[in-house]
Amino acid sequence: MAVTVIEPGLGATGTRRPRPPGHWQAARRALLREPRRVVGAAIVVIFVVLAVVGPFLYPRHLAANANSIYAPPSLVHPLGTDFEGTDVLSLMVTGARYVLVSGAVAGAIAVVLGALVGLLAGYLAGAVDWSLSRITDFALTIPQYPLLVVLAAVVRFTSPVLIGVLLGVTSWPGLARAVRSQAFSLRERPYIEASRSLGLSTRHVIVREMLPNIAPYVAMNLLVSMIGAIYAETGLFFLGILPTSNVNNWGAMLNQAVFSAGAIGSPQAISYLLSPLVAILLLTLGIVFVLDAVDEFFNPRLRG
Amino acid sequence: MRTNSASLSSPTATTAQSVTVPGEVPGAEIRGLKVVFQTPAGPMPAVNDVDLDLPLGTITGLVGESGSGKSTLALAMMNAVPKPGHIAAGSIRLPSVTDMTRLQGKALRLARGTALGYVFQASQNSLNPLKRIGAQLLDLGRAHGMEDKGALLRHARELCERMGLDPVRTLSAYQHELSGGMRQRVGIVFALILNPSVLVLDEPTTALDMISQRTVLDIIRYVQRERHLATLIITHDIAIVADLADYLVVMYGGRVVEKGPTRHVLQRAAHPYTEGLIAAIPRISGDIDRAQPLPGRPPDLLSIPRQGCVFRERCAFAIDQCSVQTPGLMPVRVTRRHDALEEDSALLDGQVAACHVRAPAPSAKVST
Amino acid sequence: MIEARGITKTFGGRGGLLGTQPVAALRGVDFVLPSGGAVSFIGESGCGKTTLGRILCGMEQVDSGQLLVGGTDLARLPQRERAALLRRVQMVHQDPYSALNPTRTVRQVLEDPLALRARQLRRGRDWVESRAVELLGLVGLDPAYCLSLYPHTLSGGMRQRLVIARALTVDPDVLVADEAIAMIDVSLRLGILALLRQLRSELGVSVLFITHDVAAARYVGADGQLYVLYRGQVVEHGPVDAVISSPMHPYTQCLLSAIPVLRGLEEPAAEQLMPIAGLDAGHEPPGCLFADRCPNAEDDCALSRPTLRDAKEPGHRHACLHPRPRQVVAVPLAPDARPSGPP
Repeated sequence: MAVTVIEPGLGATGTRRPRPPGHWQAARRALLREPRRVVGAAIVVIFVVLAVVGPFLYPRHLAANANSIYAPPSLVHPLGTDFEGTDVLSLMVTGARYVLVSGAVAGAIAVVLGALVGLLAGYLAGAVDWSLSRITDFALTIPQYPLLVVLAAVVRFTSPVLIGVLLGVTSWPGLARAVRSQAFSLRERPYIEASRSLGLSTRHVIVREMLPNIAPYVAMNLLVSMIGAIYAETGLFFLGILPTSNVNNWGAMLNQAVFSAGAIGSPQAISYLLSPLVAILLLTLGIVFVLDAVDEFFNPRLRG
Repeated sequence: MRTNSASLSSPTATTAQSVTVPGEVPGAEIRGLKVVFQTPAGPMPAVNDVDLDLPLGTITGLVGESGSGKSTLALAMMNAVPKPGHIAAGSIRLPSVTDMTRLQGKALRLARGTALGYVFQASQNSLNPLKRIGAQLLDLGRAHGMEDKGALLRHARELCERMGLDPVRTLSAYQHELSGGMRQRVGIVFALILNPSVLVLDEPTTALDMISQRTVLDIIRYVQRERHLATLIITHDIAIVADLADYLVVMYGGRVVEKGPTRHVLQRAAHPYTEGLIAAIPRISGDIDRAQPLPGRPPDLLSIPRQGCVFRERCAFAIDQCSVQTPGLMPVRVTRRHDALEEDSALLDGQVAACHVRAPAPSAKVST
Repeated sequence: MIEARGITKTFGGRGGLLGTQPVAALRGVDFVLPSGGAVSFIGESGCGKTTLGRILCGMEQVDSGQLLVGGTDLARLPQRERAALLRRVQMVHQDPYSALNPTRTVRQVLEDPLALRARQLRRGRDWVESRAVELLGLVGLDPAYCLSLYPHTLSGGMRQRLVIARALTVDPDVLVADEAIAMIDVSLRLGILALLRQLRSELGVSVLFITHDVAAARYVGADGQLYVLYRGQVVEHGPVDAVISSPMHPYTQCLLSAIPVLRGLEEPAAEQLMPIAGLDAGHEPPGCLFADRCPNAEDDCALSRPTLRDAKEPGHRHACLHPRPRQVVAVPLAPDARPSGPP
């Protein structure tokens, strides 16, 4: 006897056919849910635009003007000038690319390596896990800053990509460990067990079944490690650990403002000192504001 | 032949099995309770217009599926409806509290536990994993201003013994050292330690296996008799309370759709939902193919009909009136097929149902 | 379809700094699940039911004993072929909420394994799509309604139907249903059970039903065998109704006594048996495993462990030294004692 009970999609209000929104729509919705997310996204977008088009707006070598050193903000120099009389705004705009590129490269490398190693170790377990975990442990013991100090003596860090790569390859192990433990718990979930027993490939299980489940976490980590890389990079330049000559970025500006020219003691130069600081803070703030929108975007349950 | 039944408010002696005379001493009285949840789609009533009496010395089984509002109702009895919900209307009278819904702050905290004992749905998981059971009991006593630690511990030991637990071992144990059934019994000890006269148990046997379930049910029965409690058991499984409860209350979509003495409701469910629910229980003996699935699925908070009968979409007997007018609880009229049982008219006492077809309002035309 | 010969499984006891006591999950379990047939396993939590299901689905390995699927001994096969054979056994999990990936839509849940299947059968993309729709219809879900939904928007009953549909994508011979209705709303439970029944009769799928709800087991496999597991040992088995109506082993009698009576519809049995103590899994007695909880234990029960022996009816076996049949389950009252409401 066949007893088939069709469960209709009938709510009280009649036929409801809920459709999950597409990716663009979901992203838009996640962003628009709260005003601060919009503010954060706007900040991030402005900085990205600056980084992309900024260097094209100004000549390759910014003009120095010995007659207007430490000029206060004016119509000609909205953010004043630096110790050489170069316009601070132009320095800010052209320096954005270095900061953003190094941050993005570092974040991307750390997240891709960390998630990949963590997922493989956690899902495959056994010998693979053992070897990957030992590699992770080894990578964890590499001291990031001393390594960069030593390298700075040999390598010239004029390329933001290079420093991004270095920051990235030294900062993935933390994420790898976290992802590994998540993958460990995921592989015991009934739906992962079901995928395995249906004969779906390891690649499918890792990429299609497990990755989306840790995607919110990975995406958050991408943004957080970008912030970390930006702080690390500007910090290294600020402290003078990386040579500030021939590079133009916010960290180098801070270094020169504080150490080279003693701007910290001259009140006219306040805008010169504050500009890179405020830019870094704004960028961080923007990324932090966007964080929970990213979480919502990757989590179908929050998407509703 | 048709017989009119009396309503629940004028009870007389029930069957020989049940010794208590219900209604004499009210334990808890819920009147016109309405709990509303704020949702993106506007305010939604999770519990709507519920009247409920829990007489002292009786067990009432509250049966409902997910989305029926049964757990919300139980939390409302503690005035502990979680946000974004709130009690929008109604009153809850307990033996020592005039209206639970009006209490706030410290008075409310003290009333919980002393006026009403509550055994949580996941009572297995509601214990602090880092503290010994005994220490948690003392904390509870301290929070209610009980200075006499010795008396509290004596009472706890006595309760443990009544539950078939080794008092020394149990009180010095951490929760992970106890089995599921033992934790559930510890949950009952916590609910009773401050001597409330009303006991509410939310899904007391979920996640327990057959034998532990039976043990817990036996304990509930025993404790209720010994302490003359008004006990409310909330469950999704009618079979669990069928053997235990004096009264059955069936909830669907936030409303009480039928209530009455357990035996009567089981024997002649008037509401089509109750009837379908009972028919969908596979039986341990007899013709197994008699069990019939109930079509459709229960509504959630957003899809509960705002007007008319909450069950009409799954109902085989629905008429036009059902989508227009919300049926009230009306006495169930029953055809007696044989008159061998003399107490048949008494059996009808107190059973009410909210159904235009099966329990029409007196003014409405009764179909034949 | 499936034959188990003396399978055992022991957990823990690995040693290390904090050495744990080994726990025997299965102690030499034999059973036969015929094609299109049904076998039900009942017992308390911790009796080894779940381990048994996991072993059948290839999620755990046996320590000793043979497991034959379709007549082939799994242990003799190379890894790859064993995996292919085990694909014919699919699990329906207890919790339909954790059995579905929250990030995959209904369409993806079905089409991923169907795409694999299509490669085996040399079918195209359109076959995958039409088969997904067909399977949804088979399990009683409306394809137009749910194909593009994420699982969290479905009710428990709908999720469980989807889990069953997913299992059917690989055309399995056996469904292992581990407490498959425990977390489903009561009004929808019978629908799931009826679906399992329907799959048995229409597709010839065998069902291994693991539950603590004896009546549900009776509904799915009234014509099959009922196995009672206690601490990893089969203490009684036989045709479902024979075991229910005249259980021999006191443990079976305790389990059946614990079933709530539908007062007003059923007459409680005259005899009821309750265990005299709680389960102590740490204690490993030399004699009958149930002796320390058995209300009828005699002195010799603690000395030697009984093995399965024949009861009166053919095919009904039990492992008790002092068996006595008892009628412990409620019987339905005569239907005419139930007057009905107005038409």
